[in-house]
Amino acid sequence: MISLTSYAFVSMMLFSIGVIGVIARRNIFVIYMSIEMMLNGVNLFLVTFARYHFNMDPQIVSIMVIAIAAAEAAVFLSVIILLYRSRKSLDTDIFTILSQGEKS
Amino acid sequence: MSTSMLVWIILSPLLGSIVLGGLYFYHIKKQEVNERTFALIGCVTPLISFIITLCLFLKMSDEKIIFKQHLFTWLNIDKLNIDMALLGDNLAIFMSMFVTFVGWLIHIYAIGYMTGDKGFGKFFAYFNLFLASMLILVLADNPIILFIGWEGVGVCSYLLIKFYYGNKENVIAANKAFIANRVGDFGFLLGVVTLFFALGEVDLSFGTIETNVSNASSGLLALAGFLLFVGAMGKSAQVPLYVWLPDAMAGPTPISALIHAATMVTAGVYMVARFHFLYSGTEEIGLFIAYIGAFSALLAAVIATRQTDIKKILAYSTMSQLGYMFIAVGLGFYSAGLFHVFTHAFFKAMLFMGAGGIIIALHHEQNIFKIAQHRAQLPIIKFTFLIGVIAISGIPFFSGFFSKDAILAAAFQEGEYLIWAIAMGTAFLTAFYMFRMYFIVFVAPTKHKVQYVYTSMTITIPLILLAIGAVFAGYLNLAPIFGGEAQVDQWLAQLNSKTIHMSHAVEWILIILSVAVAAAGIFVAYKKYAKFDVEKPEEEVGLIGNKFYVDEIYHAVFVETSKKLSVWIDKVLDDKIIDAFIMNSSRGFVNLGKKVSMMQNANVRFYAIFMLVGMTCVFIYLISTLGL
Amino acid sequence: MVDFIFIGLSIMAIAGAIAMIIYKNPMYSALGVLISMLSVAGMFALLNATFLFLVQIIVYAGAIMTLILFILMFLNINDEDLPAEPKKFKLIALGAAVMIPLNVLILSAVSKLPEKDLSITETDFGDIKPIGIELFDNWLVAFELISILLLIALLGSVVLAKKRKSKIKKQGE
Repeated sequence: MISLTSYAFVSMMLFSIGVIGVIARRNIFVIYMSIEMMLNGVNLFLVTFARYHFNMDPQIVSIMVIAIAAAEAAVFLSVIILLYRSRKSLDTDIFTILSQGEKS
Repeated sequence: MSTSMLVWIILSPLLGSIVLGGLYFYHIKKQEVNERTFALIGCVTPLISFIITLCLFLKMSDEKIIFKQHLFTWLNIDKLNIDMALLGDNLAIFMSMFVTFVGWLIHIYAIGYMTGDKGFGKFFAYFNLFLASMLILVLADNPIILFIGWEGVGVCSYLLIKFYYGNKENVIAANKAFIANRVGDFGFLLGVVTLFFALGEVDLSFGTIETNVSNASSGLLALAGFLLFVGAMGKSAQVPLYVWLPDAMAGPTPISALIHAATMVTAGVYMVARFHFLYSGTEEIGLFIAYIGAFSALLAAVIATRQTDIKKILAYSTMSQLGYMFIAVGLGFYSAGLFHVFTHAFFKAMLFMGAGGIIIALHHEQNIFKIAQHRAQLPIIKFTFLIGVIAISGIPFFSGFFSKDAILAAAFQEGEYLIWAIAMGTAFLTAFYMFRMYFIVFVAPTKHKVQYVYTSMTITIPLILLAIGAVFAGYLNLAPIFGGEAQVDQWLAQLNSKTIHMSHAVEWILIILSVAVAAAGIFVAYKKYAKFDVEKPEEEVGLIGNKFYVDEIYHAVFVETSKKLSVWIDKVLDDKIIDAFIMNSSRGFVNLGKKVSMMQNANVRFYAIFMLVGMTCVFIYLISTLGL
Repeated sequence: MVDFIFIGLSIMAIAGAIAMIIYKNPMYSALGVLISMLSVAGMFALLNATFLFLVQIIVYAGAIMTLILFILMFLNINDEDLPAEPKKFKLIALGAAVMIPLNVLILSAVSKLPEKDLSITETDFGDIKPIGIELFDNWLVAFELISILLLIALLGSVVLAKKRKSKIKKQGE
């Protein structure tokens, strides 16, 4: 039986995997895609509750989230291109100019 | 003559020392001052002290009064009250009489001895300072002021022993003297403190101590008596703190004569007599003092039989005679002990001055065998030396006989037969080694052609004056057995000393025994040394010749352990433990800071992890409180 | 029937997400994300959100993921240029440990809500017209602001990615 709990479970799994992706991967593309995954999970959760309460508001919010994700995609990818141009590498661990300890 | 003259006995040499010191600075910095100026000031000040003392003495014997002079109150804290006060009673004036007289004569002798030395003025400044300190010690009204004088004579002894400071060994000897004295002084100070606690809240002048001494517990009083005697052990060179006295002979002979024969070393005996009310009540401590004195006398006499340095023989004989004095005061015969101090001052000072005369006549040669090899003809010195040696051996009609005999009789009367036997043995050895010295230096045949050497008047006249004293001073305390009136004993009646009251027959037997023992000693010395071949000198070898290795033992036990302890504290405790502790704690903080700063490494994922971990903790908390 | 669809879609979504974090090559990760997004779009459809189903496929899967794949291929990455990630699995375990409390909290909260039937109903809830009316009635300001935001993002991306020769040289290689 599909209940609220199963939809909530799926959305929380997506969200958690998104968080794990941000922590565990060094590749900047994968980090970005994990962030999108988190937004996806939240969207699913919102829509589930929209259906649960027959309220339109969460769906509108979902639309806004998708719009913002689109805008973010544009800027994010431009920055990835800039970073790639300056260091010719996709590793996030090498951008440590702001550190107080050992400089990279 | 009033009471206020009392302080001038001390002030005269004290001011003299200050003036001489200032003149000496002027002499070395600006312009040369003639030796005669120093000599004049240096010798007038003890004479002034002596004259004042004499006048006070005459007044006291006329009117039977004592002088007390309160100068100012030094300390007044709660229960402790120390006045700067001087007490001129019979005992103090007695001591001050011969201290100033012998001191004055030795000052005159020092003019001749120290001529040509570039530290002439400095010598007299120190010498006067010494005399002032000794007079403070003698005229003090309470133990603290006595201690000031006590320390003062220690300091002056140090300054004068290392007078020829160019030679490093002299400085080491001076250090040894000062440090050994210091150990004794520590005991003395503890004794005064114990006395203060034992008596409760009194001001510490001798009069009040005397009246209150019966209130105190006898255990504390015994402890105080013992600790005060530790001070006397250091000052008067008794076992175990005697090791500085032979080394102190490194100083010029006038100071050996004054300080280490007549005055400073007798300060211990004076102190025990001054505290007579304390020691009369604690018989065990007195007996302990007597045994220490007997043992020191015997030890010194044994060591002296093998010494070859003329001044060291005389130093050990001083230690031996001091042992006799302590036997007397330890057993309660205070006036007999002080009488021996009095006669000893005369003949010992004379012996030292004679030895000094020989030394400078032979250009600072001190080994008796070498002196014999290069003998010069010094008639007056030889004559006075002979008188001194006879006096110290206890031959009848000379002063030493009367004073020593009184002590031997005292030991026998108290039933301390062991002490009496030791004292008799020491008398034999005393006669032996003194005459050994006399025979080798003056009598034994030498191949050298003997020439006459002139000695100046400043040396011979004090010698003759002291010789007169050495012969006739004994008659001042002629015991009743000889038909005298014992004037010194009567003068010192305040001390409540015990007196000799044996049957006359026993006393005569004791006198004949002691004379026989002394004569035997002279006979053995004559047999062995009158015809000694001085080209083959005796060496200081063997157990006795090496002074029973006491110096080496002290060095190994005390000096080496202190050195090792300080090296250990420096290298281990200071460097490795304390410094390391401080450095490590500061380094630990720096390292901790470095490790914490590694958290700010601009690694975005690292920051993200931390944020998430924080949020997780919040969620865990929520789960636990909401009870899901 | 609908349950099976739901289960299938959820398995694909989660599998795609896991593929994203497992694979080293970013192309594979991107494809995994694509699959996941399409599955989520399907789930939107199951929840009566028809407009969102369309928007998800057009914008997310069609525009954003395409853009990502485009940039990936544009940068021409070799396998050896990719960062070495030695501690990947340990950090995945750490992340899983970190996320468990949150999941427990939310799921236990959600499970306490009253039961409702979430099957597909015959309403126009979630259709385009009701959403449009809702947007322009109540959410007008937000709508306008979003459009401004998109404009700014457009301008920003062009400005950022432009090749400025002097500035690039100054920042130093």
